[in-house]
Amino acid sequence: WGKNRRQQDNSPNPSPLPSHQICCSHPGFFCSTGTMSEQQGDGRQIPCSRKACRRLFGPVDSEQLQRDCDALMAGCIQEARERWNFDFVTETPLEGDFAWERVRGLGLPKLYLPRDDLGGGKRPSTSSALLQGTEQEDHVDLSLSCTLLPRSGERPEGSPGGPGTSQGRKRRQTSMTDFYHSKRRLIFSKRKP
Amino acid sequence: MELLCCEVDPVRRAVRDQNLLQDDRVLQNLLTIEERYLPQCSYFKCVQKDIQPYMRRMVATWMLEVCEEQKCEEEVFPLAMNYLDRFLAGVPTPKSHLQLLGAVCMFLASKLKETIPLTAEKLCIYTDNSIKPQELLEWELVVLGKLKWNLAAVTPHDFIEHILRKLPQQREKLSLIRKHAQTFIALCATDFKFAMYPPSMIATGSVGAAICGLQQDEEVSSLTCDALTELLAKITNTDVDCLKACQEQIEAVLLNSLQQYRQDQRDGSKSEDELDQASTPTDVRDIDL
Repeated sequence: WGKNRRQQDNSPNPSPLPSHQICCSHPGFFCSTGTMSEQQGDGRQIPCSRKACRRLFGPVDSEQLQRDCDALMAGCIQEARERWNFDFVTETPLEGDFAWERVRGLGLPKLYLPRDDLGGGKRPSTSSALLQGTEQEDHVDLSLSCTLLPRSGERPEGSPGGPGTSQGRKRRQTSMTDFYHSKRRLIFSKRKP
Repeated sequence: MELLCCEVDPVRRAVRDQNLLQDDRVLQNLLTIEERYLPQCSYFKCVQKDIQPYMRRMVATWMLEVCEEQKCEEEVFPLAMNYLDRFLAGVPTPKSHLQLLGAVCMFLASKLKETIPLTAEKLCIYTDNSIKPQELLEWELVVLGKLKWNLAAVTPHDFIEHILRKLPQQREKLSLIRKHAQTFIALCATDFKFAMYPPSMIATGSVGAAICGLQQDEEVSSLTCDALTELLAKITNTDVDCLKACQEQIEAVLLNSLQQYRQDQRDGSKSEDELDQASTPTDVRDIDL
Protein backbone atom coordinates (compact mmCIF):
# COMPACT_ATOMS: atom_id res chain seq x y z
CA TRP A 1 0.00 0.00 0.00
CA GLY A 2 2.78 2.36 0.75
CA LYS A 3 4.98 1.24 -2.07
CA ASN A 4 4.14 3.77 -4.71
CA ARG A 5 6.20 6.81 -5.05
CA ARG A 6 6.87 9.14 -7.85
CA GLN A 7 9.03 12.16 -8.07
CA GLN A 8 7.44 15.55 -7.91
CA ASP A 9 8.20 16.23 -11.49
CA ASN A 10 4.76 17.23 -12.55
CA SER A 11 3.37 20.42 -13.79
CA PRO A 12 1.64 22.31 -11.03
CA ASN A 13 -1.77 21.65 -12.45
CA PRO A 14 -4.30 22.51 -9.81
CA SER A 15 -7.24 21.32 -11.78
CA PRO A 16 -8.49 17.77 -11.90
CA LEU A 17 -10.02 18.61 -15.23
CA PRO A 18 -7.94 18.40 -18.34
CA SER A 19 -6.89 21.74 -19.59
CA HIS A 20 -4.32 21.93 -22.27
CA GLN A 21 -3.43 25.45 -21.44
CA ILE A 22 -2.22 24.33 -18.10
CA CYS A 23 -0.80 20.92 -18.89
CA CYS A 24 1.02 21.31 -22.12
CA SER A 25 3.66 23.72 -21.10
CA HIS A 26 5.66 21.91 -18.55
CA PRO A 27 9.10 23.43 -18.76
CA GLY A 28 11.22 21.39 -16.44
CA PHE A 29 10.78 17.92 -17.71
CA PHE A 30 14.07 16.28 -17.23
CA CYS A 31 13.96 13.87 -20.10
CA SER A 32 13.23 16.23 -22.93
CA THR A 33 16.70 16.03 -24.34
CA GLY A 34 16.29 12.37 -24.99
CA THR A 35 18.49 10.96 -22.28
CA MET A 36 16.67 8.00 -20.89
CA SER A 37 19.00 7.58 -18.00
CA GLU A 38 18.63 8.46 -14.40
CA GLN A 39 19.22 11.94 -13.22
CA GLN A 40 21.63 13.07 -10.58
CA GLY A 41 21.96 9.92 -8.65
CA ASP A 42 18.33 9.38 -7.89
CA GLY A 43 17.50 5.90 -9.01
CA ARG A 44 13.79 6.47 -8.90
CA GLN A 45 13.88 9.14 -11.55
CA ILE A 46 14.26 6.81 -14.45
CA PRO A 47 11.51 8.16 -16.60
CA CYS A 48 11.65 5.55 -19.22
CA SER A 49 13.48 2.33 -19.76
CA ARG A 50 14.51 1.46 -23.24
CA LYS A 51 12.19 -1.49 -23.22
CA ALA A 52 8.99 0.37 -22.33
CA CYS A 53 9.75 3.29 -24.64
CA ARG A 54 8.62 1.93 -27.93
CA ARG A 55 6.23 2.60 -30.74
CA LEU A 56 3.83 -0.26 -31.19
CA PHE A 57 2.27 0.12 -34.61
CA GLY A 58 4.80 1.79 -36.79
CA PRO A 59 4.85 5.41 -37.87
CA VAL A 60 2.03 7.72 -36.83
CA ASP A 61 0.64 10.00 -39.49
CA SER A 62 0.29 13.37 -37.77
CA GLU A 63 -1.91 14.77 -40.46
CA GLN A 64 -4.34 11.92 -40.32
CA LEU A 65 -4.30 12.18 -36.55
CA GLN A 66 -5.22 15.83 -36.83
CA ARG A 67 -7.97 15.20 -39.37
CA ASP A 68 -9.52 12.44 -37.28
CA CYS A 69 -9.23 14.54 -34.16
CA ASP A 70 -10.96 17.49 -35.82
CA ALA A 71 -13.72 15.30 -37.21
CA LEU A 72 -14.38 13.61 -33.88
CA MET A 73 -14.24 16.90 -32.02
CA ALA A 74 -16.69 18.41 -34.45
CA GLY A 75 -18.98 15.47 -33.77
CA CYS A 76 -18.69 15.97 -30.03
CA ILE A 77 -19.35 19.68 -30.30
CA GLN A 78 -22.34 19.09 -32.53
CA GLU A 79 -23.70 16.51 -30.11
CA ALA A 80 -23.27 18.86 -27.18
CA ARG A 81 -24.81 21.67 -29.20
CA GLU A 82 -27.91 19.63 -29.88
CA ARG A 83 -28.23 18.30 -26.40
CA TRP A 84 -27.86 21.65 -24.69
CA ASN A 85 -29.09 23.97 -27.42
CA PHE A 86 -25.97 25.96 -26.87
CA ASP A 87 -23.18 26.75 -29.27
CA PHE A 88 -20.09 25.99 -27.23
CA VAL A 89 -17.75 27.42 -29.85
CA THR A 90 -19.21 30.90 -29.97
CA GLU A 91 -20.81 30.54 -26.55
CA THR A 92 -24.25 31.55 -27.70
CA PRO A 93 -27.55 30.08 -26.60
CA LEU A 94 -29.74 28.52 -29.31
CA GLU A 95 -33.39 27.60 -29.58
CA GLY A 96 -34.30 24.45 -27.68
CA ASP A 97 -35.30 22.82 -24.42
CA PHE A 98 -33.07 24.96 -22.29
CA ALA A 99 -33.37 28.63 -21.62
CA TRP A 100 -29.92 30.08 -21.03
CA GLU A 101 -29.37 33.19 -19.02
CA ARG A 102 -26.48 35.01 -17.52
CA VAL A 103 -26.20 34.85 -13.79
CA ARG A 104 -24.16 36.84 -11.36
CA GLY A 105 -22.54 35.91 -8.14
CA LEU A 106 -22.06 32.17 -8.48
CA GLY A 107 -18.86 32.58 -6.56
CA LEU A 108 -16.91 30.61 -9.09
CA PRO A 109 -13.34 29.93 -8.11
CA LYS A 110 -10.81 31.93 -10.06
CA LEU A 111 -9.75 28.76 -11.79
CA TYR A 112 -12.93 28.62 -13.83
CA LEU A 113 -12.72 32.19 -15.01
CA PRO A 114 -11.15 32.93 -18.38
CA ARG A 115 -7.44 33.33 -18.42
CA ASP A 116 -6.47 34.78 -21.74
CA ASP A 117 -2.81 34.80 -20.91
CA LEU A 118 -2.70 31.03 -21.04
CA GLY A 119 -4.17 30.68 -24.48
CA GLY A 120 -2.22 29.60 -27.47
CA GLY A 121 -3.73 26.28 -28.43
CA LYS A 122 -5.84 25.94 -31.51
CA ARG A 123 -8.93 25.04 -29.58
CA PRO A 124 -11.36 27.83 -29.00
CA SER A 125 -11.23 29.18 -25.52
CA THR A 126 -14.30 27.89 -23.81
CA SER A 127 -14.81 30.73 -21.50
CA SER A 128 -14.88 33.98 -23.41
CA ALA A 129 -18.58 34.31 -22.83
CA LEU A 130 -18.30 33.77 -19.13
CA LEU A 131 -17.35 37.35 -18.68
CA GLN A 132 -19.40 40.23 -19.85
CA GLY A 133 -18.80 43.90 -19.74
CA THR A 134 -15.43 45.34 -19.10
CA GLU A 135 -14.87 44.46 -15.50
CA GLN A 136 -12.39 41.68 -15.96
CA GLU A 137 -11.31 41.62 -12.38
CA ASP A 138 -10.51 38.61 -10.30
CA HIS A 139 -13.79 38.29 -8.55
CA VAL A 140 -16.22 39.17 -11.26
CA ASP A 141 -17.97 35.89 -11.47
CA LEU A 142 -20.55 35.98 -14.14
CA SER A 143 -21.64 32.83 -15.74
CA LEU A 144 -24.37 31.21 -17.71
CA SER A 145 -27.08 29.16 -16.19
CA CYS A 146 -29.60 27.06 -18.00
CA THR A 147 -33.14 26.04 -17.19
CA LEU A 148 -35.01 23.08 -18.55
CA LEU A 149 -38.23 24.24 -20.10
CA PRO A 150 -41.36 22.10 -19.96
CA ARG A 151 -41.24 19.83 -22.97
CA SER A 152 -44.71 20.59 -24.29
CA GLY A 153 -44.57 24.27 -23.44
CA GLU A 154 -43.91 27.16 -25.72
CA ARG A 155 -40.53 28.73 -25.69
CA PRO A 156 -40.29 32.03 -23.92
CA GLU A 157 -39.62 34.79 -26.35
CA GLY A 158 -37.06 36.94 -24.67
CA SER A 159 -33.46 36.63 -25.61
CA PRO A 160 -31.70 34.53 -23.03
CA GLY A 161 -28.68 36.76 -23.17
CA GLY A 162 -29.20 39.33 -20.48
CA PRO A 163 -29.55 38.97 -16.75
CA GLY A 164 -32.97 40.51 -16.64
CA THR A 165 -34.76 38.33 -19.12
CA SER A 166 -36.23 35.64 -16.93
CA GLN A 167 -39.92 35.51 -17.51
CA GLY A 168 -42.90 33.28 -18.06
CA ARG A 169 -42.90 29.75 -16.65
CA LYS A 170 -39.18 29.51 -16.64
CA ARG A 171 -37.78 28.42 -13.33
CA ARG A 172 -35.00 30.66 -12.17
CA GLN A 173 -31.83 28.95 -11.26
CA THR A 174 -29.06 30.49 -9.38
CA SER A 175 -26.89 27.70 -8.10
CA MET A 176 -24.76 25.00 -9.59
CA THR A 177 -26.75 22.27 -7.86
CA ASP A 178 -29.87 23.44 -9.64
CA PHE A 179 -27.95 23.28 -12.85
CA TYR A 180 -26.90 19.69 -12.29
CA HIS A 181 -30.40 18.77 -11.27
CA SER A 182 -31.83 19.89 -14.57
CA LYS A 183 -29.04 18.17 -16.44
CA ARG A 184 -29.84 14.89 -14.76
CA ARG A 185 -33.51 15.13 -15.60
CA LEU A 186 -32.78 15.88 -19.19
CA ILE A 187 -30.53 12.88 -19.62
CA PHE A 188 -32.96 10.52 -17.95
CA SER A 189 -35.87 11.74 -19.98
CA LYS A 190 -34.03 11.42 -23.24
CA ARG A 191 -32.06 8.27 -22.64
CA LYS A 192 -34.73 5.82 -21.65
CA PRO A 193 -34.47 2.96 -24.13
CA MET B 1 25.41 21.99 10.66
CA GLU B 2 23.88 18.58 10.72
CA LEU B 3 22.18 17.25 7.70
CA LEU B 4 19.46 14.78 8.17
CA CYS B 5 18.30 12.74 5.27
CA CYS B 6 14.76 11.58 5.68
CA GLU B 7 13.42 9.90 2.65
CA VAL B 8 9.72 10.42 2.79
CA ASP B 9 7.18 8.90 0.51
CA PRO B 10 5.87 11.94 -1.38
CA VAL B 11 2.48 10.35 -1.92
CA ARG B 12 0.27 10.66 1.09
CA ARG B 13 -2.68 8.36 1.33
CA ALA B 14 -5.83 8.58 3.30
CA VAL B 15 -6.47 5.65 5.57
CA ARG B 16 -9.22 3.32 4.44
CA ASP B 17 -12.51 4.76 5.50
CA GLN B 18 -14.11 2.16 7.72
CA ASN B 19 -17.43 3.96 7.55
CA LEU B 20 -17.54 3.31 3.83
CA LEU B 21 -16.14 -0.20 3.99
CA GLN B 22 -18.43 -1.39 6.75
CA ASP B 23 -21.60 -0.06 5.22
CA ASP B 24 -23.23 -2.61 2.96
CA ARG B 25 -25.05 0.10 1.04
CA VAL B 26 -21.75 1.09 -0.53
CA LEU B 27 -21.20 -2.40 -1.89
CA GLN B 28 -24.81 -2.59 -3.04
CA ASN B 29 -24.54 0.73 -4.85
CA LEU B 30 -21.33 -0.35 -6.55
CA LEU B 31 -23.06 -3.51 -7.71
CA THR B 32 -25.99 -1.50 -9.00
CA ILE B 33 -24.01 1.00 -11.03
CA GLU B 34 -21.09 -1.11 -12.28
CA GLU B 35 -22.80 -2.21 -15.49
CA ARG B 36 -23.12 1.37 -16.66
CA TYR B 37 -19.41 1.53 -17.28
CA LEU B 38 -19.00 -1.60 -19.34
CA PRO B 39 -18.17 -1.21 -23.03
CA GLN B 40 -21.36 -1.32 -25.06
CA CYS B 41 -20.41 -4.12 -27.40
CA SER B 42 -17.76 -6.61 -28.34
CA TYR B 43 -16.14 -4.11 -30.62
CA PHE B 44 -13.86 -6.37 -32.61
CA LYS B 45 -16.95 -7.86 -34.17
CA CYS B 46 -19.13 -4.86 -34.66
CA VAL B 47 -17.10 -1.65 -34.72
CA GLN B 48 -13.41 -2.03 -35.47
CA LYS B 49 -12.14 -2.95 -38.89
CA ASP B 50 -8.43 -2.33 -38.51
CA ILE B 51 -7.83 -3.25 -34.90
CA GLN B 52 -7.43 -6.91 -33.98
CA PRO B 53 -7.57 -8.52 -30.54
CA TYR B 54 -3.82 -9.08 -30.48
CA MET B 55 -3.29 -5.34 -30.94
CA ARG B 56 -5.34 -4.64 -27.86
CA ARG B 57 -3.10 -7.06 -26.00
CA MET B 58 -0.02 -5.27 -27.31
CA VAL B 59 -1.19 -1.85 -26.26
CA ALA B 60 -2.43 -3.19 -22.91
CA THR B 61 0.91 -4.84 -22.20
CA TRP B 62 2.69 -1.60 -23.01
CA MET B 63 0.33 0.39 -20.79
CA LEU B 64 0.88 -2.02 -17.92
CA GLU B 65 4.64 -1.67 -18.33
CA VAL B 66 4.39 2.11 -18.26
CA CYS B 67 2.15 2.05 -15.20
CA GLU B 68 4.52 -0.32 -13.42
CA GLU B 69 7.59 1.65 -14.32
CA GLN B 70 5.98 4.87 -13.21
CA LYS B 71 4.69 3.17 -10.07
CA CYS B 72 1.16 4.26 -10.70
CA GLU B 73 -1.61 3.43 -8.29
CA GLU B 74 -3.04 0.00 -8.91
CA GLU B 75 -6.34 1.29 -10.23
CA VAL B 76 -4.84 3.42 -12.96
CA PHE B 77 -4.17 0.62 -15.41
CA PRO B 78 -7.57 -1.14 -15.22
CA LEU B 79 -9.33 2.21 -15.32
CA ALA B 80 -7.36 3.28 -18.38
CA MET B 81 -8.27 0.00 -20.08
CA ASN B 82 -11.91 0.66 -19.26
CA TYR B 83 -11.68 4.03 -21.02
CA LEU B 84 -9.93 2.45 -23.99
CA ASP B 85 -12.55 -0.28 -24.35
CA ARG B 86 -15.44 2.16 -24.03
CA PHE B 87 -13.92 4.43 -26.64
CA LEU B 88 -13.22 1.59 -29.06
CA ALA B 89 -16.75 0.28 -28.58
CA GLY B 90 -18.00 3.49 -30.14
CA VAL B 91 -15.38 4.84 -32.51
CA PRO B 92 -13.84 2.94 -35.43
CA THR B 93 -10.13 3.58 -35.06
CA PRO B 94 -7.12 2.83 -37.25
CA LYS B 95 -4.41 0.84 -35.53
CA SER B 96 -1.92 3.67 -35.96
CA HIS B 97 -3.95 5.67 -33.41
CA LEU B 98 -4.12 2.90 -30.86
CA GLN B 99 -0.99 3.70 -28.90
CA LEU B 100 -1.95 7.36 -28.71
CA LEU B 101 -5.32 6.32 -27.35
CA GLY B 102 -3.67 4.10 -24.77
CA ALA B 103 -1.52 7.02 -23.67
CA VAL B 104 -4.53 9.34 -23.48
CA CYS B 105 -6.42 6.80 -21.37
CA MET B 106 -3.50 6.44 -18.96
CA PHE B 107 -3.25 10.23 -18.81
CA LEU B 108 -6.91 10.53 -17.82
CA ALA B 109 -6.96 7.60 -15.40
CA SER B 110 -3.83 8.87 -13.72
CA LYS B 111 -5.33 12.32 -13.25
CA LEU B 112 -8.45 10.82 -11.77
CA LYS B 113 -6.72 8.49 -9.33
CA GLU B 114 -3.35 9.94 -8.43
CA THR B 115 -2.13 12.84 -6.39
CA ILE B 116 0.84 13.27 -8.71
CA PRO B 117 -0.41 12.30 -12.15
CA LEU B 118 1.60 11.25 -15.19
CA THR B 119 2.58 14.12 -17.45
CA ALA B 120 1.80 14.35 -21.12
CA GLU B 121 5.49 14.73 -21.92
CA LYS B 122 6.42 11.57 -20.09
CA LEU B 123 3.73 9.57 -21.83
CA CYS B 124 4.90 10.82 -25.21
CA ILE B 125 8.42 9.67 -24.44
CA TYR B 126 7.01 6.24 -23.70
CA THR B 127 5.61 6.14 -27.22
CA ASP B 128 9.18 6.68 -28.41
CA ASN B 129 8.10 10.21 -29.29
CA SER B 130 5.80 8.96 -32.01
CA ILE B 131 3.18 11.37 -30.69
CA LYS B 132 3.49 14.92 -29.49
CA PRO B 133 2.15 16.27 -26.21
CA GLN B 134 -0.11 18.63 -28.13
CA GLU B 135 -1.68 15.67 -29.93
CA LEU B 136 -2.14 13.84 -26.67
CA LEU B 137 -3.95 16.84 -25.21
CA GLU B 138 -6.17 17.28 -28.22
CA TRP B 139 -7.13 13.63 -28.19
CA GLU B 140 -7.75 13.86 -24.50
CA LEU B 141 -10.71 16.09 -25.26
CA VAL B 142 -11.92 13.73 -27.96
CA VAL B 143 -11.82 10.77 -25.60
CA LEU B 144 -13.51 12.76 -22.86
CA GLY B 145 -16.26 13.75 -25.25
CA LYS B 146 -16.82 10.20 -26.41
CA LEU B 147 -16.87 8.94 -22.82
CA LYS B 148 -19.30 11.76 -22.04
CA TRP B 149 -16.90 12.91 -19.33
CA ASN B 150 -17.99 9.87 -17.40
CA LEU B 151 -14.64 8.93 -15.92
CA ALA B 152 -15.44 7.66 -12.46
CA ALA B 153 -15.96 4.11 -13.67
CA VAL B 154 -16.27 1.26 -11.24
CA THR B 155 -13.23 -1.02 -11.39
CA PRO B 156 -12.57 -4.39 -9.77
CA HIS B 157 -10.37 -2.62 -7.23
CA ASP B 158 -13.41 -0.89 -5.79
CA PHE B 159 -14.66 -4.26 -4.56
CA ILE B 160 -11.50 -5.75 -3.12
CA GLU B 161 -11.74 -4.32 0.38
CA HIS B 162 -15.44 -5.02 0.59
CA ILE B 163 -14.81 -8.64 -0.31
CA LEU B 164 -11.77 -9.15 1.91
CA ARG B 165 -13.60 -7.75 4.87
CA LYS B 166 -16.19 -10.49 4.69
CA LEU B 167 -13.79 -13.40 4.51
CA PRO B 168 -12.81 -15.37 7.61
CA GLN B 169 -9.17 -14.50 7.14
CA GLN B 170 -6.17 -14.11 9.33
CA ARG B 171 -5.21 -10.48 9.30
CA GLU B 172 -1.55 -11.05 8.56
CA LYS B 173 -2.36 -12.86 5.31
CA LEU B 174 -4.59 -10.10 4.03
CA SER B 175 -1.94 -7.94 2.45
CA LEU B 176 -0.49 -10.88 0.54
CA ILE B 177 -3.93 -11.89 -0.69
CA ARG B 178 -4.67 -8.30 -1.66
CA LYS B 179 -1.42 -8.03 -3.56
CA HIS B 180 -2.04 -11.20 -5.52
CA ALA B 181 -5.65 -10.24 -6.23
CA GLN B 182 -4.42 -6.91 -7.62
CA THR B 183 -2.03 -8.76 -9.89
CA PHE B 184 -4.86 -10.90 -11.20
CA ILE B 185 -6.99 -7.82 -11.83
CA ALA B 186 -4.21 -6.24 -13.88
CA LEU B 187 -3.81 -9.46 -15.85
CA CYS B 188 -7.54 -9.56 -16.56
CA ALA B 189 -7.41 -6.01 -17.89
CA THR B 190 -4.85 -7.08 -20.49
CA ASP B 191 -7.17 -9.76 -21.86
CA PHE B 192 -10.19 -8.75 -23.89
CA LYS B 193 -12.34 -11.64 -22.79
CA PHE B 194 -12.72 -9.97 -19.40
CA ALA B 195 -13.59 -6.55 -20.81
CA MET B 196 -17.32 -7.21 -20.76
CA TYR B 197 -17.38 -8.93 -17.37
CA PRO B 198 -18.77 -6.95 -14.46
CA PRO B 199 -15.92 -5.62 -12.32
CA SER B 200 -17.41 -7.30 -9.25
CA MET B 201 -17.03 -10.68 -10.90
CA ILE B 202 -13.42 -10.02 -11.82
CA ALA B 203 -12.74 -8.85 -8.29
CA THR B 204 -14.38 -11.89 -6.74
CA GLY B 205 -12.66 -14.25 -9.15
CA SER B 206 -9.31 -12.59 -8.51
CA VAL B 207 -9.64 -12.88 -4.74
CA GLY B 208 -10.67 -16.52 -5.17
CA ALA B 209 -7.75 -17.23 -7.47
CA ALA B 210 -5.36 -15.45 -5.10
CA ILE B 211 -6.45 -17.41 -2.06
CA CYS B 212 -6.60 -20.76 -3.84
CA GLY B 213 -3.17 -20.14 -5.34
CA LEU B 214 -1.61 -19.19 -2.04
CA GLN B 215 -3.36 -22.05 -0.30
CA GLN B 216 -1.14 -24.53 -2.13
CA ASP B 217 1.93 -23.37 -0.25
CA GLU B 218 0.61 -22.29 3.07
CA GLU B 219 -2.54 -22.12 5.07
CA VAL B 220 -4.07 -18.75 4.28
CA SER B 221 -7.71 -19.61 4.63
CA SER B 222 -9.70 -21.95 6.78
CA LEU B 223 -12.08 -22.58 3.91
CA THR B 224 -11.73 -25.09 1.11
CA CYS B 225 -11.65 -23.62 -2.37
CA ASP B 226 -15.22 -24.70 -3.08
CA ALA B 227 -16.55 -23.27 0.14
CA LEU B 228 -14.64 -20.10 -0.56
CA THR B 229 -16.14 -19.75 -4.03
CA GLU B 230 -19.63 -20.12 -2.59
CA LEU B 231 -18.99 -17.50 0.02
CA LEU B 232 -17.48 -15.14 -2.55
CA ALA B 233 -20.44 -15.62 -4.88
CA LYS B 234 -22.77 -14.69 -2.07
CA ILE B 235 -20.85 -11.52 -1.24
CA THR B 236 -21.20 -10.02 -4.72
CA ASN B 237 -24.47 -11.75 -5.73
CA THR B 238 -22.70 -13.64 -8.47
CA ASP B 239 -23.82 -16.99 -9.82
CA VAL B 240 -21.54 -19.69 -8.39
CA ASP B 241 -20.94 -21.42 -11.72
CA CYS B 242 -20.18 -18.13 -13.47
CA LEU B 243 -17.76 -17.26 -10.74
CA LYS B 244 -16.04 -20.65 -10.96
CA ALA B 245 -15.69 -20.27 -14.71
CA CYS B 246 -14.34 -16.75 -14.27
CA GLN B 247 -11.81 -17.88 -11.69
CA GLU B 248 -10.62 -20.68 -13.95
CA GLN B 249 -10.21 -18.23 -16.81
CA ILE B 250 -8.22 -15.93 -14.57
CA GLU B 251 -5.93 -18.77 -13.55
CA ALA B 252 -5.51 -19.75 -17.19
CA VAL B 253 -4.51 -16.19 -18.08
CA LEU B 254 -1.89 -16.23 -15.36
CA LEU B 255 -0.47 -19.50 -16.62
CA ASN B 256 -0.36 -18.10 -20.12
CA SER B 257 1.44 -14.97 -19.16
CA LEU B 258 3.90 -16.88 -17.01
CA GLN B 259 4.70 -19.11 -19.97
CA GLN B 260 4.99 -16.06 -22.15
CA TYR B 261 7.32 -14.50 -19.65
CA ARG B 262 9.54 -17.57 -19.47
CA GLN B 263 9.58 -17.67 -23.22
CA ASP B 264 10.71 -14.07 -23.32
CA GLN B 265 13.39 -14.85 -20.81
CA ARG B 266 14.67 -17.75 -22.85
CA ASP B 267 14.74 -15.59 -25.92
CA GLY B 268 17.00 -13.30 -24.00
CA SER B 269 14.91 -10.28 -24.81
CA LYS B 270 15.42 -8.88 -21.36
CA SER B 271 18.71 -7.88 -19.88
CA GLU B 272 19.60 -8.38 -16.25
CA ASP B 273 19.10 -4.70 -15.52
CA GLU B 274 15.60 -4.68 -16.72
CA LEU B 275 14.78 -7.73 -14.70
CA ASP B 276 15.91 -6.01 -11.57
CA GLN B 277 13.79 -2.98 -12.16
CA ALA B 278 10.33 -4.36 -11.84
CA SER B 279 9.31 -4.66 -8.25
CA THR B 280 5.67 -3.75 -8.09
CA PRO B 281 3.15 -6.36 -7.12
CA THR B 282 1.59 -6.25 -10.55
CA ASP B 283 4.57 -8.21 -11.66
CA VAL B 284 3.63 -11.73 -12.64
CA ARG B 285 7.00 -12.92 -11.45
CA ASP B 286 5.88 -12.36 -7.89
CA ILE B 287 3.48 -15.21 -8.17
CA ASP B 288 4.34 -18.86 -8.16
CA LEU B 289 1.80 -21.43 -8.96
